[in-house]
Amino acid sequence: MRFHLIDRIETCAPNERITARKVTSVDETYWQSTGDGPAMPFGLALEALCQAATWLIMISTDHRLRAALLAVGEATSLRPVQPGEVLHMEARIESMNEDAAVLDGTVTVDGEKVLEVSGLLCALIDAERLDDPANTRRMAHQLQGGGPVG
Amino acid sequence: MTATTGATDTAPVFDRIEELVPGDRAVAVRNIPNTLTFFDTHFPRHPILPGVLLLESMAALAKAAAGGERAWRLESVRAVRFKHFVGPGDQVRITAEVTKTTEQTTEVRATARVGDRVVATARTLTLAAADRAGKDTA
Repeated sequence: MRFHLIDRIETCAPNERITARKVTSVDETYWQSTGDGPAMPFGLALEALCQAATWLIMISTDHRLRAALLAVGEATSLRPVQPGEVLHMEARIESMNEDAAVLDGTVTVDGEKVLEVSGLLCALIDAERLDDPANTRRMAHQLQGGGPVG
Repeated sequence: MTATTGATDTAPVFDRIEELVPGDRAVAVRNIPNTLTFFDTHFPRHPILPGVLLLESMAALAKAAAGGERAWRLESVRAVRFKHFVGPGDQVRITAEVTKTTEQTTEVRATARVGDRVVATARTLTLAAADRAGKDTA
């Protein structure tokens, strides 16, 4: 699968908070079978929040830095996510310097909290080590509702 | 126990289960081949196994260690640390040890190693019996 767990960035206050959205589909390949039908893996709901966090870091630093996950203080799933549901991520920076950031956040579906995360510790690394900053800039533009770039 | 097949990129199965003592502990190996499709995007300039997928492997093995005939759901994780990147060609050996059980939950500690190096640890994975949620919401 393409490991892009964010479809839209809805709001972004640099150095503070971001809200973002992911639509889920039965067409996706990650669903796990449970006694109550298919469910999104815990780790992918967590990843959706982490990717919202890394977009916040990239936008806050003009794509100079991005977040690499170092630690999770606590993450709790309140209920499984089912195909077709729309995830709304909110990530907030609790502290940040040039080397690391700590974030908290939630994932909600229709206003109901499905995942709560605290103490997300990320190393801030040179973004260009992982991807071409021109690509992430273009993608951020698209995720924020921009049209094709020049 | 033989390896299971039918994996997708994100639904971890193991290439070899080395030890399984239901209710106590389990040890398994997951190989990380360069063919996994998420390496195209994670990341274009440096392929890295997403930490959350390592966490999913830990959770899958934790469910095996919790054992019994019950279905388990990962309810929460606490104090998870990612210490080193895991990438194509690595063989990850995961150990899951049951640390606490109640009638409806099992807590498991997990460690992932590549060779002698610890690459990730999870102090507590809390599994809830899948039948419990049904009772609570009935």
